[in-house]
Amino acid sequence: MEPILKTENLWKIYRTGKVDVPALRGVDIQILPGEFVSIMGPSGCGKSTMLHVIGGLAQATRGKVLLDGNDLTTMTDAARTMLRRHKVGFVFQRFNLLPTLDAYHNIVLAQHIRADGFDPHRFEVVANLLGISARLKHKPSEMSGGEQQRVAIARAIVCEPKIVLADEPTGNLDTKSSEAVLNLLASLNKDLGQTIVMITHNPEAAAYGHRVLHMRDGLVVDGATVH
Amino acid sequence: MISHNVLHRPLRTFITVLAVAVEVTLVIIVVGLTSGLLLESAKRTEGVGADIMVQPPSASVFMAFGGAPMPIAIADKLRQLEYVQAVAPVLVQFNSVNGLDIVYGIDPETFRAVSGGFVFHSGHDLQAPNDILIDDVYSRSKKVKVDQTLHILEHDFHVAGIVEHGKGARLFVLMPTLQEMAGARDKASIFYVKCDRPDHTPAVADEIRDLLPKYEVRPLKDFLTLMTSSNLPGLAAFINVMIGIAVAIGFLVIFLSMYTTIIERTREIGVLKSLGASKSYIVQIVLSETTLLCIAGVVGGVGLSYLMRAIFIRLFPSLTILITPGWIARAGLIAILGGLLGASYPAWMASRKDPVEALSYE
Repeated sequence: MEPILKTENLWKIYRTGKVDVPALRGVDIQILPGEFVSIMGPSGCGKSTMLHVIGGLAQATRGKVLLDGNDLTTMTDAARTMLRRHKVGFVFQRFNLLPTLDAYHNIVLAQHIRADGFDPHRFEVVANLLGISARLKHKPSEMSGGEQQRVAIARAIVCEPKIVLADEPTGNLDTKSSEAVLNLLASLNKDLGQTIVMITHNPEAAAYGHRVLHMRDGLVVDGATVH
Repeated sequence: MISHNVLHRPLRTFITVLAVAVEVTLVIIVVGLTSGLLLESAKRTEGVGADIMVQPPSASVFMAFGGAPMPIAIADKLRQLEYVQAVAPVLVQFNSVNGLDIVYGIDPETFRAVSGGFVFHSGHDLQAPNDILIDDVYSRSKKVKVDQTLHILEHDFHVAGIVEHGKGARLFVLMPTLQEMAGARDKASIFYVKCDRPDHTPAVADEIRDLLPKYEVRPLKDFLTLMTSSNLPGLAAFINVMIGIAVAIGFLVIFLSMYTTIIERTREIGVLKSLGASKSYIVQIVLSETTLLCIAGVVGGVGLSYLMRAIFIRLFPSLTILITPGWIARAGLIAILGGLLGASYPAWMASRKDPVEALSYE
């Protein structure tokens, strides 16, 4: 089976003043379609940077990122934007819902940006799956953290992305809400075959994945390839 | 999303809309005031009832800005021309005390022959040297009545009568009195010429041009079309400057409003980018919000303009403020374009934000 995501000798170097700071130092990973992969590692090891680079939010300094056969490192900013729109769904630790919009409009926004038009069937399936049908008219400020994260997940998957990239999705949640969100991600993976890459600090959360990648100092030190 | 964003900060939205409304009001009122004054002045000149107006060489169509007066004896030469029924010499003076007014020095008999005479609301015609006639608009706005003393042009006049407005000026005195005061004995600023039939006007105008080459000979039929801001030196520039100031207000307020909005929504822009929003999509959102604010401002500005006009006219009854659909449309367009220009840099700035930096913005 061809990997949905593959990186080869991936480097990302940030320049701070006159000093080069390498955040990724030659990362090689493969993720197969339908996999649920967790990434663990200490703060500053490059987990979030890797998520940004493989999701097309940031440009790699060198190396290759192949997402569904497209090499992100050779793409223009506009092409990476297009790729994010059609193939990537992001879930963030701080939910990042638009505060001026209710849950319904936050989710529909993704479809609007994709410009495919509103798909009511897909919307209903996603809203029911995530159990947010009764909260659609509520704004983020009127919802609990767990509910906000479920809306954020709905927004990430409503356009059927090839891969969902979740950056510490339970980092701002209590234990009960964390468990609910992790169960949801696991069921999305199991029932819909959604490929998920999740960053977490929590070993219990990481255990929801099929595989755990361990990072340290900008390198993947364990779990990089499928066994 | 755009309407939600606009309503998210109601005070900022209100201030922005108010600024655009003030911009639109400024344009409409300034233009309306100048156009209104010109139109009103033109209508009064037409209201004299003459067919032709003769002025000195290079005289302005705006008689208050006229040049040197002409010998009054010219009137006799004009009367001898074929098809000429009557000629009324008028000396014009500009009064700037208690407002801006044109004063006509007239000979009652010849002025009556051309204009058909005044319609009196009260009082009587000019008789004594210090008599003055005022029109009903002036009487109302200055609260002046018959038999009161009116101090203008450094002179005390006795208000002899109040006449219906629309006969050239709002104030009329005897010509010898005004000539004496102006040091222009036997001089006149304008000759109003009445033809025996209106269709003889072109022929009479040609005769006058032959008789008085270089003099300004203007058929009054076309007078309204000549009374535009472009014919008054400096007025068009004044209007343009006022429009420029109004646009600058709108531009700066919109710029500041959208700039702070973009800074405040940095994180949201990062979210939109993570969802795959293109640069043009983000620019479109910012400019759409601006357009919505400007449209609200234009609507408010038009309403405010009518309100201001009502207040001005109540306070100063002699004022005419002309609000035309054409200038409402132009003021609206100016406000929207100025607003879009003001929002273009914030929109460009938003579209170029780095998504990773934007998402980590606190």
